[in-house]
This record gives sequence, structure tokens and C-alpha cells, in this order.
Amino acid sequence: MRLFSWWLRRALSAVLTLFLVSVLIFAASRWMPGGFAEVVLGPFASPEQKAEVAAKYGLDESVFVQYWLWLGTALTGDFGISMISGEPVTTEFGLRLPVTAQLALFGVAAAVLIGVPLGVLTAVRAGGRRGGAALGRLVSGLGVSVPEFVLGSIVVFLFSRYALGLTVGGYVPFGQDPAGNLQSMVLPAAVLSVFVIAVAARTTRDAVLNVLVEPYITASIARGESPGFIVARHVLRNASIPVITVLSTITAYLLGGAVIIEYLFNLPGIGTYLVQAVGRRDYAVVQAGVLLAAVVFIVLNMLTDAAAGVLDPRFGAAAKGRKR
Amino acid sequence: MTPLLHIDDLVVDYASGGRTVRALDGAALTVQRGETVGIVGESGSGKSTLGSAIGGLLPGAASVTGGAVRVDGDDVNTLRPKQLRALRRGRLGYIFQEPIGSLDPTMRVGRQVELALRGRGTRADVTAHLARVQLADPDRVARSYPHQLSGGMAQRVAIAMAMAGEPEILIADEPTAALDSQIREEVLGVIFSLAAEAGTTILWLSHDLPAVAKRCSRVVVMYGGRVVESGAASAVLDSPRHPYTAALVRAVPGAAADGARLSSIPGQPPVLTGSAQGCAFAPRCPDALGPCSADRPPLVSVAERDVLCHLAEATVGAGR
Repeated sequence: MRLFSWWLRRALSAVLTLFLVSVLIFAASRWMPGGFAEVVLGPFASPEQKAEVAAKYGLDESVFVQYWLWLGTALTGDFGISMISGEPVTTEFGLRLPVTAQLALFGVAAAVLIGVPLGVLTAVRAGGRRGGAALGRLVSGLGVSVPEFVLGSIVVFLFSRYALGLTVGGYVPFGQDPAGNLQSMVLPAAVLSVFVIAVAARTTRDAVLNVLVEPYITASIARGESPGFIVARHVLRNASIPVITVLSTITAYLLGGAVIIEYLFNLPGIGTYLVQAVGRRDYAVVQAGVLLAAVVFIVLNMLTDAAAGVLDPRFGAAAKGRKR
Repeated sequence: MTPLLHIDDLVVDYASGGRTVRALDGAALTVQRGETVGIVGESGSGKSTLGSAIGGLLPGAASVTGGAVRVDGDDVNTLRPKQLRALRRGRLGYIFQEPIGSLDPTMRVGRQVELALRGRGTRADVTAHLARVQLADPDRVARSYPHQLSGGMAQRVAIAMAMAGEPEILIADEPTAALDSQIREEVLGVIFSLAAEAGTTILWLSHDLPAVAKRCSRVVVMYGGRVVESGAASAVLDSPRHPYTAALVRAVPGAAADGARLSSIPGQPPVLTGSAQGCAFAPRCPDALGPCSADRPPLVSVAERDVLCHLAEATVGAGR
């Protein structure tokens, strides 16, 4: 019952957040200097021409009326049409979402399958003399501090000379040509992975190091448990919450579109599309895009909190509103 | 016969921020099977380091630079990791100061006790072990998570886990320091009765001399990383031979007669950076003579105890 009311409260606050986000983005996009008419008609259009374009798309109404109309149709699932292409916004996003989702999937998989184990390993080996710790620090340090566009540019430069069977640009949907799709996705996914692996490894390493100094770890060493057993039974679960939080942030970030990577590798993903839409004052696209990012973020946050409650009973008790 | 525990001139240094702090400066102690030993000293006297060294549990910053710890003849510091784990599992039990922190917060208590029984335990065994440490509702405790227990309950669980393997030596490092005063006696009672049943030798590390003397057969007093006096509990408490022990006895509130002044020990305990040249207590000692700060004191056996003091023989029968 308490659990239910907790979820209900979370859902209500999510709806409120989405509403406020929609108001904010609506206001911000309308108050940007230079409206849609200016962008479409160029700097030398006459006021009459501008007024005509504005009237055609309902941009001559007050912002409040515009918002009210938008809200009414958005609630029915209709997010309007792109004023640039004339296609429904949902169709436009439907074309680009698979690209972004595929890139995000690769990135998150790299973070989980490579970054997290690397973090655990470097933390456990931190006291060792084998230099594994120094190597781990070097890798995650480089990954965090080298900007994406630097590494990405190097990769683009190298692979435009020596292709090795991989392509830069030339994206084809997976459904059309799976091999060609993977050829074009491997490089951007690899560059992206360097960063998410570094972030995941560093967070995991810190979380594990924090757990390793806990008295219950000393107690389990004193009971003669082996290092592998201690890591598997006591360390992983206790270190998991910061790791899951950062993984969820990475996922949200990637689903919002890795703009720089998409630009560099000429991928038609959500990130580049949204940046273009802002430049073209394609209002309906901007609104839907930002709202989508907000939904992703809110849903992932709720999932993270739910996972934290399952993994650590102390969080669970707080989430269920139980007083200790 | 090989003593159960033989600590021989043990020297342990901690590296901290580029300098070295000496925690143990030639500590020596021999314990026979079945003894109940109370090791008394202030914070920084080296008693916790001594307790950790027995199980090879010193932190990474610490290094053993001299001497040896032998458990039943085996030198702990030369054991291979696997042998060391076998020693900890089979022969040693530890109870720590922080009861709730010593339990894994994400695992049910019953499961943790089960792991301490090394998979040999059924649910009934887990309940039985929890019942042995006088927990009122062992089934409910087994289902709980550590944060749902009180400090006293958690420490009983820790005792049950430490005693699960019927260890030969139980090292209890200030096991009641974090508990309310009413339940301290109960928890100590549980420790001592379980150890007596299993024939376990107790090493109880504490700063409370009278409490230790009440329950233990032997009292060991540590100062400046060395054992300065060690002997039968009643003898040491009634007529201490080391000036530091004597000062400790005088500083206990209960021991002073009504209206008499409690005496505190002037000065601060030392922080050693290397081997102490003389007696570590000499700067604070009311009876210190010339050789006290110049030469390391010899070990003297007098009146049912060993004392590390230049004056030990001189003061025999002096009615201190």
C-alpha cells in the first residue's frame, strides 16, 4: 500500500515535471531572437511576407493560445508536423530513433560489459604491485579528459585513409543491410565507448574502493573468506547503487543523442536532428524532442530508484516510507 | 608444549603521509590454551594493532618490521594467503567495536550466519546459533537486515558468527564500546559463556582495567607499543608493579574512597616514530630515574607477573 502510494507520488511529480518542461521549452523557443518566418524567408523578406508565413502556421496567435492549442493536440498523441518537411513529428522521430537507440545500446553495453568489470578489477588490485592500478587510472583518466571531438576526429582521419573494411558515414538502416549497418556503426560506437567505459570504470572503481574499507569487509576477511568470495558476495551489491545511477545517466544522455559523434560520423540520429531543428526554428520538433528527452530521463530515474530499493534494503525502507 | 599464541618482540610500523609511526615497539605476549586474557591500554597503545596482527589483518599501510606472531607454532607472517585464510577460518574468531557496521547491510542476518557456518548450516542451525547468543526472537532476527537491529542485537549476531566455527582464539576488540552501558554486561556474559563452552581462549582488548580484571584470568597492560605488565588479574589490580598500571588503577573512579581525589596521569601518551630509546612511560613517570629514559627496561618476573620496568625489583615490597 505504501509502495503503491510512493509510485503514485512519483508518477504525479513526473507529470508535473513534464508539464513544466513543456512550458519552459515552449517559452524559450518562442522567445529566441528570430522566428521561423525569418529563418525560412531569409534576411531580406518584407514584413508582409513574414506575416503571411506566420499566419499560415498560426504563429501570429499569442504564445498562450499557441501553447493551449499545442497542449490539446499533444495530449492526444499528436505532436504536430515539422514545418520544414511537412511530415508529422512522430514520423520524423521514428526515422531517427533507431540510429540513436542502436548507438546507445552499443555504448551502454560497452559500459556494462567492459567499464564495470574494469572498475572492479582496478579497485581490487589497487593495493597490488603489478601496475594494474596505474594502468586503470591512466585509461580512465585519458578517457575522461580527452574531448570526444579530438578522439573522434583522429578516428575519422585515420579511417578515411585506411578503411580496414569499416566506413565513416554512409549509414544504412540495420533492416536494409545488416552488414553495411554494422560497418558504419562500429567506429562511432567505438569512439563513444571509450568515454562511457572510462566514466563507468571510474565510478565503479570509486564505489568498490569505498566498500572495501567498510568494517564488514574487514570482518569477512577476518572470517577467512577468499577475495573472490568477498567481491562476489559482499562488495558488488554494496557498490552497485552509484554504478547503476551513473549507468542510467549515461543511458539517458545517449538516448538524447550523442550530438558530436553523430555529426562527426554523419549519422542521422536524434541529436543532430534536434540541433538542426533549433537552428531552423522548427518549433514542433524542438518541443517533442526535448519532451522525449525529459520522459527518458524521468523514466530512467524512477527505474534507478526502484533498483536501488531492491539492491539496498535501507533505500527500500525509505522508499516505502517505513520509519526505522 | 607449544603455547597457543606466542608474540615475540613484535614491531609494526605504519606509513602515514611520508613519515613512519611505530605502533608496536617490541610487544611480547604468550598465551596458553583456555586462558581469558584482558589486554588494557589507551588509544594508541598498540592493542588494536596487536589484535589485528594475530590474524594477519593489518591494513596496507602497516608493515611488520620485526619479531613474529605464532599461533600454535605457525608464524602468521610467513603463511601463504591460502594458509592464512585457513587459520582465520579454523582457529580465529574476531569481534569488532562497531556491531552494525560489521554486518553486510544488504544481506539478511540469517544468510550471513549461514555463510559463517560455511554452508553446513540449515535454517534450524542458523536459528540455534542465534538462540545461543540469547537473542529473544532468533527467527525474526534471521529475517531482518542489520539496519533493523539494535547495536546490542547486532553484536550478539556478530558473536554468533565469530563463534560459529568454534575458534581456538577469540579476539574481541572493544566489543562493548559502542553499546549502551546496561547491555554491556549481558553481551560480555554471552561472549564469556560461549567461549567457556567451546574451550575458546579469549583475548579481550579494552581500555577499562577494572572491567577486564573482573572477568579475565590474566591482565595485560600495554603502553607505547609494548606490554608493560602482565599477570594474574587480581594480583595486577590489587598491587600493580608498573608505575603506569599503578597510575591507571588510581585513575579509576570506583577505586577511590569517597572524598579522595582521583588522580589523572600528567602528560600525553607517546607517538613513536622509531624504536623508543628508554622506557616509553619515563617522561610521565613519577618515579623515573636516570636509566629510565636512557635504556630499554628489562623484563622482570616478580610476584606472579612479568613487568617491563627498571624499578620493578627495587620496588618489591615497597607497598605501591
